[in-house]
Amino acid sequence: MIRLDFEAPLARFPLRIRADLGAPVTAVMGPSGAGKTSLLEAIAGLRAIASGRIAIDDDVLVDTAAGRRVPPQRRRIGYVPQDAGLFPHLRVRENVLFGARGAARDVAHAIDALEIGPLGERYPASLSGGEKQRVALARALATRPQLLLLDEPLAALDVSLRERIVPYLLRIRDEWSTPMLYVTHNVGEARALAGEVLLLEGGRVEAQGAPLALLATPGLSREARAGIENLLAGEIEGHDPEGGVTRVRLEGGLVVSVSIVPERPIASAVTVAIRAEDVLVATEPVRGLSARNVYEAVVRGIERGPGDATVRCALRPDVPEWLARLTPAAVAELGLEEGSRVWLAVKSHSVRVASAPPARAVPSGEVGTRPP
Amino acid sequence: MPTREEWAVVLFTLRVAALGTAMILPLGVAAAALLAGRRGPGRTVLDTVFSLPLVLPPTAVGVVLLDTFSRATPLGSALAAAGIQIAFDWKGVVLATAVMSFPLLVRSALTAFEEVDPRLVGLARTLGCGPLQAFFRVTLPLAWRGVLAGTVLAFARALGEFGATVMLAGNIPGRTQTLALAIFHETQLGHDDRARVLAGVTALLAFLALWSAEAVGRARTRRAA
Repeated sequence: MIRLDFEAPLARFPLRIRADLGAPVTAVMGPSGAGKTSLLEAIAGLRAIASGRIAIDDDVLVDTAAGRRVPPQRRRIGYVPQDAGLFPHLRVRENVLFGARGAARDVAHAIDALEIGPLGERYPASLSGGEKQRVALARALATRPQLLLLDEPLAALDVSLRERIVPYLLRIRDEWSTPMLYVTHNVGEARALAGEVLLLEGGRVEAQGAPLALLATPGLSREARAGIENLLAGEIEGHDPEGGVTRVRLEGGLVVSVSIVPERPIASAVTVAIRAEDVLVATEPVRGLSARNVYEAVVRGIERGPGDATVRCALRPDVPEWLARLTPAAVAELGLEEGSRVWLAVKSHSVRVASAPPARAVPSGEVGTRPP
Repeated sequence: MPTREEWAVVLFTLRVAALGTAMILPLGVAAAALLAGRRGPGRTVLDTVFSLPLVLPPTAVGVVLLDTFSRATPLGSALAAAGIQIAFDWKGVVLATAVMSFPLLVRSALTAFEEVDPRLVGLARTLGCGPLQAFFRVTLPLAWRGVLAGTVLAFARALGEFGATVMLAGNIPGRTQTLALAIFHETQLGHDDRARVLAGVTALLAFLALWSAEAVGRARTRRAA
């Protein structure tokens, strides 16, 4: 449990945070300048606190009333800033070992899990944005932190799916029991990773709750709503070069067709991403449509925000719900409500395949064993 | 070509310049490190004091040094009692050149330290470094080129120091005479050709110092890129 109750001066307004965070992963969201990065810096000890208290379980990091301020080097907090913050004068391996404490096996595990072994002798300047983020994550993990702070990995970059960090974060979440605070602009990422969202606005906590519940909060930015994705774990079932598709079997047995990715071996684990606005919703069985993926589902709920609606659909009882983003007009016209029977259609081209599998899909002991 | 006596002057000049630079290197780096990232009146005052030798007439600095270290002062007489003579001795040359080149080193190092991304230093802190360790593992390695440039500048400045040296150490051939003093001395005696030879040697030394620093900096840049 991370207990925050403090005030810190910022340039334009004070940061006043009061929240108890108990989820393994908490997503920190909010518009630019809301104080997200400042919150992480305050917890890491890199930003001075005027008054208040910060504690992780029984470890009190700051308590101004008691005159306690633990310096950053003794807080055991792993911090990954937006641009990764690698030391440019050190090779990848030296970066990872910079603050390493504990067993060499743990460091090796971090290097394996983030698949950066082959990069060891390179300097940061020669790495791609996604590689830098993974090195920064490994460097933070190697210190065996009691809390990981991740500031919008890749937000500043043009992110191709190949570069996605989310699958690695899922791996870390599931293999290290290190709690995380994760700043993101994307509700889909928040939903895939985090049990809870802390929504900041003007230096204060505007809302705290489950990721999807926040879609109804007016304070959530437009871009946050627009970026919602369904991130689903699965494995490659087969390729059909003539038809130009690859079939991916998702957890729970559903099969989706995606634009062919012949380089991925059969049975290899993958993550597929489908943007919520790319999911078509029909109230009758679909015929004569070009979309390759059509599934029957039941509406479980509709989260309405200003000017849009996110429909939660259950395809099977044992499969994660899918999200479809519609206009309120479309919801009204189709007469959608909880319990409605619907058919969801997705074009193969709208389904993208991410490189690394989420941890759950990887048998333990085979993590990240990729030839250099 | 320089004569045997002139070579001795060249060697003496190189030796005192190197010694003076070595003396101010730790002090200058420490001063720059303490000033870096600080704001407020204290910083301004120290900045100004450290920069004074740059703008004062070197002879004025020489007078101040002479007043501080001559045998007439308590400090000077205490040093003399301990067997250390500063004024009109080679140690005075080292001191004068060191004081005169100190600001160049501090300013270069300060600029270099302030160009290091403070977030990298912060990250080093979260990775277990105390302030001093973060300085030696992150700030200094990232700023070393600026520190080197400042050191070379300081060294080159020391090679050519004249005013403060002549005030504090005098122009004693074979004892306190550096290249700059010898050039002046030769023209006074009407030996303009000897002065030209010495000036040429001085220029060559300064060029070599600056060029080698530049070359080292470039090689390192290529490797890290």
